[in-house]
Parts: sequence; C-alpha cells; structure tokens
Amino acid sequence: MRGLHVYVLAVVAALALLGAGHFNAYWLHVSIIAMYYGILAGSWSLLAGYVGLFSLSHTAFASIGGYTSALLVKWLGIPVLLGMGAGVAVCCALGGGIGWVCLRMSGPYLAIFTLGFSEIVRIVISSEDDVTAGMAGLHTAPLFRSATRVPYFYAAFALLAVSLLLMGLLVRSRWGLFLRAIREDEQAAGASGVAVARFRILAFAIASGFAGLAGGFYAHYIGIMTPGVGDLDEMAKLVVMTVIGGMERLPTAVGGAFLVEVLLELLRGYGQWRLPLFGVLLLLTMRFARNGLLTPPWLGLVWLGEARARPLAPARDLSEKDSAA
Amino acid sequence: MSWDYLFVQAANGAVIGVIYAMIAVGVTLIFSILKIVNFAHGDLYMLGGYCAYYIIEYLGVPPLGAMVMSMAALFVGAIVLERLMLTPLYSDATERKDEYGLIVTFGLAYFLRNSAVIAFGPFPLKPPSFIPGVQRFGNLVLTNDRLVAAGLGLLLIAALLYFMKWTIWGQALDAVSQSRDSAAIVGINARRFNSFAFGIGAALAAAAGALVAPIFSLAPDMGVLPNIHAYVIVILGGMGSVTGSIIAGILLGESESLFTAFFPDPTRAFAYTNAFGVLVLMIVLIFRPQGLFGRRHLRME
Repeated sequence: MRGLHVYVLAVVAALALLGAGHFNAYWLHVSIIAMYYGILAGSWSLLAGYVGLFSLSHTAFASIGGYTSALLVKWLGIPVLLGMGAGVAVCCALGGGIGWVCLRMSGPYLAIFTLGFSEIVRIVISSEDDVTAGMAGLHTAPLFRSATRVPYFYAAFALLAVSLLLMGLLVRSRWGLFLRAIREDEQAAGASGVAVARFRILAFAIASGFAGLAGGFYAHYIGIMTPGVGDLDEMAKLVVMTVIGGMERLPTAVGGAFLVEVLLELLRGYGQWRLPLFGVLLLLTMRFARNGLLTPPWLGLVWLGEARARPLAPARDLSEKDSAA
Repeated sequence: MSWDYLFVQAANGAVIGVIYAMIAVGVTLIFSILKIVNFAHGDLYMLGGYCAYYIIEYLGVPPLGAMVMSMAALFVGAIVLERLMLTPLYSDATERKDEYGLIVTFGLAYFLRNSAVIAFGPFPLKPPSFIPGVQRFGNLVLTNDRLVAAGLGLLLIAALLYFMKWTIWGQALDAVSQSRDSAAIVGINARRFNSFAFGIGAALAAAAGALVAPIFSLAPDMGVLPNIHAYVIVILGGMGSVTGSIIAGILLGESESLFTAFFPDPTRAFAYTNAFGVLVLMIVLIFRPQGLFGRRHLRME
C-alpha cells in the first residue's frame, strides 16, 4: 500500500479527534501542551534539521508571538485571532531580520548569536514590568469562552495539522530541496544556483512565524504569559524533544515532542529528576543513535508502505516476492 | 554619583574581568584543540564553585585547598565526560561534527544545570571567605576576597601561559592545535591531549567558580551569563591570545560595572547590565561572523 505512513497518521489523528471528548481534563491539557511543543519542534526541525541553522532563539520567538498577541488584545481590544495573526506577522518579520543579520554566521556562531538574542528578549520582558508585568505574569484574554478544554484541543489539533501540512509541502517542494542543499554545503548550493541568502532568510522567517503562532495559541490558552516561556530551559527542552525524536524529519520531530511531553507527565512521580534524566537521554541519543529514536520506526513504516508498490525495484523486493510466492 | 562609587565599581569590574578571562581562556583552549565551542563551560564553572563549597563544608579543608581539590576533581570529571561523550568528534565516520559538538555540549549544560538544582538546591549558597576582612585604599574599600580572586586568577592564567610555552606537554598541546596529523607523526598521542585540554579548561573554570563563590553566591544557573561573556572576551581578545583575553576580560568587566553605575534607572540597571554584555557579543558577531576563532590554528600566547 503506497503511502502507508500517511494512512497510519490519518487513522491516529482520527482516533485522537474522536477520542478527545472522552479524555479527562488532565490528559486533554497534556495533549494540548504536547501539540504546542509539536508545532515548535516541527518548525525548529525545519530550521535546524533541514537547513542546518542551529538557532537557539526559537522559544524566544514563541514568547514574542505570545506577548505581542496578548498585549495587542489587551490594549486595542482586537479579537484574539487577529492578535495571534499579528504575533505571527511580528515573528516572521523579526525572524527574517535575525536571519538576515546572521547570514554570514554558521554552526556554533549562529547558535551563540541566537542564544544572545533570546537572552536579551528574556531580560527585556522581565525588566519592563510596567508593560509586560514581568515575572508576575501577564494575564491574557482566553481564546474560547468555554468551561472545558475540548475546543482548545481541536484548535491546537487544527493548528498543528495545518502547520505540519504547510511545512510538509514546503520541504517536499523544490524549495525544500534548496533548503537541504544549503545544509549539506552552502557554497556548493550557491554555485548550483540556489539563492542561499534568500532561502536562509526565508527559512528563518517561516520557522519563526510558526513559533509565533504556537506562542500566540499558548498565551491565549494558558491565560498567563511569563518570561519563562522563552527562556534557555524551554529552548533546551525543545532541543531535547526534537533531537530525541529525530531532527531531520518533521514527523519524527513532532513525535519526539509528544513522546517527551507524555513521558514528562508519566514520570511526574520522579519530580525534578525527570529533567536531568532527559538530558541523559539526549546525550545517549546523540552518542548512539544520532538520527533520533523515532527515525528507524518511521522509516520502517515508510518502507513498509512502499515495498510492495514497486515490484521491479532491486534485490530486496524481488526476494521478498519470491518468499511470498 | 561620587567618585568613590565609581572607583569601587571600577575595582569590582577589574576583579570580575579576571574571572571572565579565566573562563574565556578555558573556552579558547578547548576550541583550539577539540575544535568545538563548549556550551557547557559555564556549568563546569558552576560545578567547580559547588565542589569547593562542599569540600569546605564537609571535609573542613581551608578555602585555598578546597579550590585546588575542586580543580583536580573537575579535571578528572571533565576527562571522563570527554571520553564518554566527545570521542565521535575525532572519528572520520561522524558527519557534521560542528552540530554534534554543539548539541552534545548544549545537552551537557542542560543536564548539569538541572542536576545541580536537585543536588545543591535552588537557593544561593555562600562558602566562607578566603581571608576575611577588607582593605582600605584611601576611600576605596575592597574585600579581601575580591583581591584574592583577582590575584589568584592572574596567577593561574600566568601558570597556564608558562605551561603552554615552556613545558613539553604545553608544546605538545600547541602542536596538536596546529595539526593533529603532524603531531601524530612526531609521536604525540592526539587523543590523549584532547582529554587533557578539556580537563585543563574545566579545571580553570572550576578555579574561577571557587574564587567567585565567596564574593557572589553559588546558584545552579550562575554559569549561563559568564559563559556568554566568555565568548565576548574570546572574540574581543584577539583569538586565542591569553594576554588579549585578560585585557578584554577586564575591559568587559569595567564597562559592565560602569554601565551599571551610569544606567539612568537603578532598579533595572542590574538586569540590563547582563543584557549589555550580550549585546556587545551580538554586535561583534555581526561584524566578525567567523569572529570567535577566525583562524583554524590558535596559538596560546
């Protein structure tokens, strides 16, 4: 069955949608937060996994998106959806700006630069407390006037699905090829006619826009924004999720976010020990399974779907046909 | 604002600058040998401070001895970490080594910081002073701890310089940093010197942590900003030049202290002081994108 992995994802998604009404409030909350991280992990893998831009300001953009939206809604009284849109626009613009500024940086330099940017964002947000309410937290307008979390679940699901769809289309397109070419060798890509500068800026703008979207949703779901949303620990958590899942593919990155978030909840009994535990898991993943823990099963699934679709493909498929006969 | 206040701020800036320089020299050493930017260096500094604290608390060792023991502990610990985690960097089978070094040291930093919160608690701790009391120079009052920190810091950096320049092990390190293959041809075991360089860098960071502990308090996240400052210094200080690092460190410490003194809104001055150092880093990186270590070979001089 060609495209088996797509069907499997669709079935899982359908089950999740149908089952949402039966989840208790606690697991609904966990899955909503997991989907928030899912959008972040997906868009970060677009940046770090596909283009090779190891940015450490991704959660800072989520926090910028959240604060922009929350503040605009508070000051101008605009609808929440419009505020979230504005947050996305601001993040796209700022992300593009950061992408432009660090065009000539690569690897660790880019990481240091974006780390600096996110520290400045955090410091400004916590210090300017007459605007952002600082460490006390900014109260935000809710997205839905609803007593239960079910509408939020569907909204998060829709956002995640649309984000993944758009990013998936991007990475499968010709542009996606350009992006991966930039990761492999920037100079070779440039020599082959890829507008490296334009695509690096584009990748930054798009990924930051999705981070802003996730942040905006988070702000209006949780009801309170704190500087902690964009701090270094959140960024580290995002790196842990994406790398454990597999940062070079969107589905594995998002799967990593789900896996880590659910494990974090299941292991709640271990309290604070969970965080260093995931640090160790990250180190082990990097040391022994650099493609991520979810990549082999995912590739297996994809392969399973495609194996029978091409009977004339070389050796392995033929031998399988023989044994089946 | 009085002149006295400015002098105190300037003196404090110089002390902090020496501490920054110690961390920066470690970052440079590790980069020049292992070719990675160590994102966990600030956390090794934090660990060194706590290590000294607990040695003083439980073993009753005087602060100076505790500092040396903490350096030794971090030296060994860092070598173990390097053996466990960083060996893929030296194999040709590893693709995109930059990315590997980055994620591993970043993950290590996350692990160490969160373990520290559990092991040492989130509350600030303060070990006893090296030498209690203060020194007066006219109107300028400085605690002995600050003088000890600056003096010992400079002494340790000088010792490292001597080691790099005049001992055979130091020369071997220099050889490895110039060319791994050529060093191997003349019989230097490059892998051993990778561990050695990582250990020395960590030991220097540990000394910095132990020296800073009585001045400021120890906290699990105390390493984050000094880590960023170390990058600023390495860029400003002329790529691996140790004297440059000391000068750049003191300059950064000074400009930060004076920034705090002159910032118009005193309630926010401290927070924005940290932002100031970060901003300097970002601006320097914009103009020197390969800035940190522009040359492939770094001479420690």
